[in-house]
Amino acid sequence: MLAAVGAALAPGVMHLGRSWRARVAVVGTSMAPTLMPGDWLLVDPSAFRRRAPQPGQLVVAADPRQPERDLVKRVSALDLDGRLLLAGDARDASTDSRTFGAIDLASIRGRPWFRVRPMARFGRIG
Amino acid sequence: MLRDRVLKALAPSRTVHAHCDVPCGIYDPHGAEIAAKTVSKMVALIVENEGSDLAQRNKLIRSVKVKEEHAELCKRELQVLWSDYFKPEHLEAHPDLHDRFWKALKQASTCKQSVDAAAAAELETQVAAIADIFWATKGGRPS
Repeated sequence: MLAAVGAALAPGVMHLGRSWRARVAVVGTSMAPTLMPGDWLLVDPSAFRRRAPQPGQLVVAADPRQPERDLVKRVSALDLDGRLLLAGDARDASTDSRTFGAIDLASIRGRPWFRVRPMARFGRIG
Repeated sequence: MLRDRVLKALAPSRTVHAHCDVPCGIYDPHGAEIAAKTVSKMVALIVENEGSDLAQRNKLIRSVKVKEEHAELCKRELQVLWSDYFKPEHLEAHPDLHDRFWKALKQASTCKQSVDAAAAAELETQVAAIADIFWATKGGRPS
């Protein structure tokens, strides 16, 4: 637990402050078992400012079909135009790029990187 | 309680959706229909079965086993539709729904007990009628 707190603090208090203000709660099960409904996540809104998301990373992105809603998914690949393909970890219960196609980098809102609740799973997330 | 108030104050105001268009069960009467058709086919194979050599006896027993299993599968598929998919509002639109399920489940049991092509055909008919109701509640069969 102490190690987890240390890891959270390491990138700096600013980073933590930004992320805390952009904290979110997870709805839905398409990212199970990585993320479960009700999890509180810290999202770093500037994580991808200098570096595009890489395959395997979690992202919060505007839903291309309903832009006022944010999705949380994992980047599965970058296509040739540098657009992102997203996928849920629970493939059988996920609506993702298999349905809505690739998304633009501009629709990325940030990187969920730390789970605050539940306490049993407090810590960094990948 | 203080803890609840603190948690409420700290709770995220935004949500992110680990979204799925079909978040819970995917229901489809196709499983019950296929199982009922399989029962019919097995009844035909059992009736056709002739000879008493080992290969024929093996084939006969396998056909009986598959008939038994698929009649049971048919019941299971029907029960899931009945208990999990259909809602009270469906019953209002289709007041004979409970009776249809009850009769189809009993018909599947009859098919286990007998080797009767007419009984198997009746099961298929009853399951098809339930499938029609299912698709009516969905606004039509998918094309």
